[in-house]
Amino acid sequence: MKALLPILFALPLGTPLAAAPAPKYAVAAIPASLREGAHAVIRADDEVVTVKSASRLVHTVHRVVTVLDNAGDDLGRFGVSYDALRTLSYLRGAVYDAEGRLLHQLRAAEIKDEGVGNDGVNFMTDVRVRYADLRQPQGPYTVEFDYEIVSDNTLFYPDFQPQAEEGVAVQAASLRVSTPAALPLRYQERQLPAGLAVGHTTAGSQEVYEWKLADLAAIDDEEAAPPLTDRTPAVVLAPGSFEVQGHAGTAGTWQGLGQWTYDLNAGRDQLPPATVAKVQALTKDLPDARARARRVYELLQGSTRYISVQLGLGGWQTFPASTVASSGYGDCKALSNYTRALLAAAGVPAYQALVGAGSDHADLRADFPSSQFNHVVLCAPLVTAGRPDTLWLECTSQTEAFGYMGSFTGNRHALLLTPEGGKLVATPRYGTAENRRVRRLDLFLDAAGSATATARTLRTGQEQDLYAQLLHELGPPDQKKYIVEHLRLPTFTLTRCNLAATPAGPLPGVVETLALTLPGFAPPSGKRVFINPNLLSRLPALPAQVGERQADLWLPQASLHADTVRLHLPAGFQPENLPAPVQLSTAYGTYATQYATLPDGTIQYIRRLELKRGRLPKTAYQGYLEFRRKINSADKAQVVLVKTES
Amino acid sequence: MLLCYLQRVALMTLLALGGLWRPVRAQTAAKFPADPIKFGQVEAQDLTAAPFVADSAAAAVVLCDYGRSQMKGHGSGLQVIFERITRIKILKKAGFDEASVEIPLYHREENSEKVSNLRGLTYNLVNGKVEKTRLETSGVFLEKRTPTVNVQKFTLPNVREGSVVEFAYTLTSDYLFNFQDWTFQRAIPVRWSEYRVSIPGFYRYNINYQTSRPFDVQEVHVGQTTLTVDNKVGDGGGLGAGMTNGILSISAPTEEHRWVLQNLPGLRPEPYMTTLADYAARLDFELAGEQWPNEPYRDLAGTWPKINARLLADEDFGGRMSHTGFLKDQVLALAAQHPDPAARAAAVRALVLNSVRYDGTNRYFAPEPLRKAYDAHRGSAADVNLLLVGALRDAGLVAHPLLLSTRDHGAVSKEFPLLEYFNYVAAVVTLPDGHDLLLDATNPHLPSGVLPDYCLNRVGRLVGPTPATSRWLDLTPTQRRVHYQQVSLTLDAQGGLSGKVHTEHGGYAAAEERSHVAELGEKKYLAAVVQHHEALTLSKLSLAHSNDPDKPLALDYEVHQPEEGAPGSALHLSPLREFGNTLNPFRHETRSFAVDFGMAQEETLVVNLALPAGYELAALPTAVVMELPGNGGRYVCSAATPTPGTVTLTSRLSLNQAVYPAAQYPQLREFYRRLLEKQAEQLVVQKKAGS
Repeated sequence: MKALLPILFALPLGTPLAAAPAPKYAVAAIPASLREGAHAVIRADDEVVTVKSASRLVHTVHRVVTVLDNAGDDLGRFGVSYDALRTLSYLRGAVYDAEGRLLHQLRAAEIKDEGVGNDGVNFMTDVRVRYADLRQPQGPYTVEFDYEIVSDNTLFYPDFQPQAEEGVAVQAASLRVSTPAALPLRYQERQLPAGLAVGHTTAGSQEVYEWKLADLAAIDDEEAAPPLTDRTPAVVLAPGSFEVQGHAGTAGTWQGLGQWTYDLNAGRDQLPPATVAKVQALTKDLPDARARARRVYELLQGSTRYISVQLGLGGWQTFPASTVASSGYGDCKALSNYTRALLAAAGVPAYQALVGAGSDHADLRADFPSSQFNHVVLCAPLVTAGRPDTLWLECTSQTEAFGYMGSFTGNRHALLLTPEGGKLVATPRYGTAENRRVRRLDLFLDAAGSATATARTLRTGQEQDLYAQLLHELGPPDQKKYIVEHLRLPTFTLTRCNLAATPAGPLPGVVETLALTLPGFAPPSGKRVFINPNLLSRLPALPAQVGERQADLWLPQASLHADTVRLHLPAGFQPENLPAPVQLSTAYGTYATQYATLPDGTIQYIRRLELKRGRLPKTAYQGYLEFRRKINSADKAQVVLVKTES
Repeated sequence: MLLCYLQRVALMTLLALGGLWRPVRAQTAAKFPADPIKFGQVEAQDLTAAPFVADSAAAAVVLCDYGRSQMKGHGSGLQVIFERITRIKILKKAGFDEASVEIPLYHREENSEKVSNLRGLTYNLVNGKVEKTRLETSGVFLEKRTPTVNVQKFTLPNVREGSVVEFAYTLTSDYLFNFQDWTFQRAIPVRWSEYRVSIPGFYRYNINYQTSRPFDVQEVHVGQTTLTVDNKVGDGGGLGAGMTNGILSISAPTEEHRWVLQNLPGLRPEPYMTTLADYAARLDFELAGEQWPNEPYRDLAGTWPKINARLLADEDFGGRMSHTGFLKDQVLALAAQHPDPAARAAAVRALVLNSVRYDGTNRYFAPEPLRKAYDAHRGSAADVNLLLVGALRDAGLVAHPLLLSTRDHGAVSKEFPLLEYFNYVAAVVTLPDGHDLLLDATNPHLPSGVLPDYCLNRVGRLVGPTPATSRWLDLTPTQRRVHYQQVSLTLDAQGGLSGKVHTEHGGYAAAEERSHVAELGEKKYLAAVVQHHEALTLSKLSLAHSNDPDKPLALDYEVHQPEEGAPGSALHLSPLREFGNTLNPFRHETRSFAVDFGMAQEETLVVNLALPAGYELAALPTAVVMELPGNGGRYVCSAATPTPGTVTLTSRLSLNQAVYPAAQYPQLREFYRRLLEKQAEQLVVQKKAGS
C-alpha cells in the first residue's frame, strides 16, 4: 500500500509576496513566552482545504517560520511531495532577516525536483518531491513558503497539526475547510486547547469550518512518552463520500471504507489453472485447515519476493494474482491478494486486512474511520476444536514465522476486508508470556584476571524480531559484525558466534550462541578481584527529569528477561563479598536478583526483569525513573573475590 | 563545462579530417578468446545448490560480469557503445536485492546516455530441469530522478534461493570523455570479471588501474575498425552548411585491451576509513589526446600543468574567482583593519562564511556566477571557496585554489592526472614567510586555517597561475583532536563522592562537539552529558565558547555520588573509568584496510582525589608507559601523592599518526585494551593503620 509521503521536511506558504519590501515577520514581534525553549517559531500556518467535488480537493498552505538557532535550522528548508494523483500547482518561497527585511526570493531554478525512487522502500513509485533550501548563514531568519496541491485522491484529506516537532512554538495557525453541503465534512479534534471551538458557517451551498490556534509554547519530546503527534493540537479530516479514479465509496464507517477497498480489488484473485492444481496437489492429503495454510505459506515464501511498485491507482489497487503467479513478486497488496487466492484453492477462506504497520506506529483511532493504513496482511478465521483460532499471515516476508505478526503488525487493530465491507478486528497480542529473553552465561576466570565466557540466549516473540532479521537478512560475517558492534564490553574477541531459529512452534525464536575471550577482564587489584557478573544484560538508567514532566508515561512493549550467570573461579580464589539480593515490585514491572555460592565453589547470579506494557499518567514517571535507577545500580553490583593465601 | 568542451573539440577534428584518413595497415591482429559468457546459456552446475568457493557465507555471487566498450559512428559524431552481460547466483534470500538493478543515465544539453537491448533471464532448477523466465517489460522502468539523471531499473522475475539471474544491455553514450569505467569488485564475491575495450587509433586514453591485486589476464593487441558517420557540409559550404550529404566510412586501427580478475572476495566497510571505493579493484579512463594523420598529436589531458591551465582558463573555475567585486567594499575595509596577513585571511574567511552558506554540495566548478550564490546566501563548496579565493586576492593576499577529493569521494592519484578524482576546492594563502595557510569557508565550527575533517584525504593540488607555482600539498593537519578533562573529587568516609569537572575539547574535537551543540541545542547536549554519567548526579553544567571556534569548547560541572550504604573495611572506586572510555574503539578482531583517522589525537584525563581523614590508599597504582612503534603513539598513566591524603591520577593517550597501516591494527587494539584495563583499575581506600 502506498503510504502518502508526509512532507519531507516541514511546510509553509504565503500570501503573494509584496513587491514593496515592507518589513514583516520581525523576530522582535515574537512574544518572549514563545521563544522559551524554542529553536523555531511558526509565525503563521494558514491552511485552506477546498473540497471541489467527491473526487477533488485543493489544499492551499501559507507557512512562515522563524528559525531562532541552529537546532531549528531544518525548518529553513521545505519539501512537498506529489504524485500521479496529486498535482503541485506551485511552490514559492522567500526569506527575511531578523528585522523582517526581504533577503531573497526563491527562484524557480533554486527549487529541486526529484523522484524518490531511491528511498529504499519502493522499487518504483510516481511520488516525487519538490524542495527548497532557504537556510541562512546566520540566524535568526524567517522563511515563508506557499504551495497548493490539487488532489484527485480524496480517500485522504489533509491533517492539520502545525506543531509536529519538539522545540517549535506556534504563534498563529488556522485551518479553513470549505465543502459543498452535499459532501458533509467529517473531522476529529485532538488535543485542542480548552475553549477552542470550531467556527461553522454556511455560505450558499458551501459549508465552511474554521479553526484558529495561537500561542502554543514549544514542547519537548520526553523519555518513555507517547509520540508528539499524540500530544499537540490537531484537527484530522476525512471524507464522508469520495471517489478516486471513478471508484466511489463512503468512509463514514469502517464497513464502508472496507467495502470500497474490497470492491476496488474484487475479481483480481484469479489464479492460472496450473497454480490452482499445484496448490491442490500440495494440500490434498491434509485434512486440517491450519496445516494446509502452512503448506501454502511455505509455497508463498519459497516462490515470491517483495517488490514495491506504486504507480497511480496502483498505489491502492492490487496487481492481479495471475501477475504474481508469473512474475513471483509483488507488494503487500499483491502478495496478500495472491496468498488469499492460493488459500482459497486449498479450501481455506481468508481476508485481507489493512493495518498501520511499524513498531513505532500508534494504533489506529477506532472512533474515526479514515484511511490510517500503510500495509496489508492476511487473516484466516480458522476454528480449532470449536474455538476461534485465527491465523494471521505476513505475506511480504520470505522468512517470517507462520502465523506471526510481531512488532510490525501485532498489538493493534486492523481493518478486515470482507465482501460485506470492513470489520475492525484486533491483531495478535504479544505480552510478557511471549516476548522473552532467556540467557545463560558461564564465565571462566583465570588467576591472571583474563576470562573466557559462553553465552546462550533464547529470544522469543517481539524480543526476537531484530535477531530474526539479522539471521535472515545478513550473512554470518555481517551478523557477527553487528553483534560485535553492539556488545557493551570493553575489549573482547568473539570466538564463536551463531544465530539459529528455534524449531517451528506457536512463537518464533532465535538462539544466539556466543563464545568470548576477555583478555584482562578482571585483573587482581592487590589480593582482590572485582567482577560484575551482569556482563550482557545491564539496563541503562534514564536521564533525570529536568523541569516538570509533561507527557504520560508510555511503555509500548512488555517483556521478560531471565538471566542465569555462573562464575567459575580459578583455584586460590573465593568470594569475599556477594552483593545483597534485590527485589523490586512496581506498577511498571518487577526486578529481582540473587547471588549464591554453589557447592562446587561456583558463584551463581540470577536476574529476572519483567517490564509491563501500558500508559500511565505523567505523575507515574518519577516512580518509573526510580525503578530504572535502582535496576541500573543493581545491574552494576560487583562480586568481590579474594585470593586465599594457601 | 569542461567535459562538453573537450568532446566537441574531438568531434570537430574527426569531421574535418575523416575523409582524408587512410589507415596504416594493422599488423595481423591476435585474437582474444571467445566471450566468457553467452546470454541464455547457463552452465548446469551453476544451478545446483553446491556452495561456491569464493565465499560460502555470501548471500549471492557474481558468476560472471563481462563488459565491452567500443566506438561507433552515430549521426555526424561518435558514441561509446558499452555492452554488458552479468550473471549472478542467488544463494540466500538475503541476496534477492541482486535481482533488482538500477543504471543511472546522465544527460545534459545534447548529450545523453541510453540503455537499449535490455534482456533478462532467471534460471531455476525445477524437478531437475532448467526453467527459464524472461524479464518482461512490466518489470522494466525508467525513473526521471533529477533533471540530469534518469534511472533505468529492472527487476527479474521468479527469483528464489538457488536461482541464477542474468541480464544484458547496451549503454550508448555521447560522453567520449568519460569512457565507461569498470569496477571488478563489489559487496558480494565475484567469480569472474572481464572488461574489453577497443579504442580507435585517433584517440588515446589514460587508463588507471587501482588496487594492489595483479590482473589474472591482461592483454593488448592491435585491431581494426570501421566507423560510419554522416558527412556534413562544412562551415564554408554556404547555404548547405551543416547539412548532411552522404555517409563517410572511416577505417582505423584500434588498441584492443582485455583485463580479467577472478575469485574476488566481497568488500565490507570498516570503521575509520575513507571510502570503500578506494579499495575496490577498478579501471578508470580519461581521454588523453587525439592523433590525426598529418597532424601533430593533440594532448587533451595528460599532465598536471595542462589541467592547471585549462582550469584557470575555464569560466566555471578560473573565471569565477575574478568576479567577486560585489564583496570588494567589505573586503577592502577588512584589509585596512587587519594588517597581519593571517588575521586578514581569517577576517575575509569569516565574511565569506557569514555571506554564503555551504549547502552540502561538493564540487570544484561553479556553473553559475558567484553573485548568484551570494544573493541566495547559499552555495556549493565551489561557490563558497572560489568566492573565498577571490575575496582573499581582493584583500591583497596571495591566494590560490586548492583542489582536493573529500574522504567519501576517494583517493587522488598523483601519477594519474585526472580531474574526475577531485570533487572539492578549498583555498591556500601563502604567507610572506612562505608558510601555507589552508582556508575553507564551509564549516563555521572550525577556526581559520584548518580544513574540515571531510577534506582530510592526504593530498591536495594547489592550482597556481603557472605550472611552476602549482604543487601538491600534504593535507595532514597539524591540529589534533584533543580532549582534556580535569577532575577534582572528594571522597567521604561513607563512600560518597563530590567534586568538580572541567573539560575542554580542542582542535577537531571542538568542531565536532560544536556541531553537536548546534544540532541538538545546548539543553539536549547537556542532557546527553548527564546521561553519560549514570552513577553520578551532575549539576551546574556550563558550556563556554560554543560559538567561538578559536577557543577550545569548555564544559564545567559539579558531580555528586551518594554514599554506597554501609561501607566495608575498605572503599573501592575507579575514577579514571568513570571519566575515561568504556569501550575499545577497535571492536573487531581483524582489519583489512588502513585505519584512517584523518588527524592525530590526544586524550588527557587528570583526577585529583582527596581521601577522607584517616584513610589512605592500600597501594598507589603502578605507573604505565606504553608506546606504539615508530613514535606512532604513547600512553602514560601515573599516580602521585602530591600532599598527604590526596592522590593525583594522570592518564594521557597520544595517537600521533593520522593513518595507521592495517598491519598495525592488532597493536592499536591491544594498546587500547591495556589503556582500558589500566583505567578500570580499582583504587582501594582503607583506614590508616592505628587510626
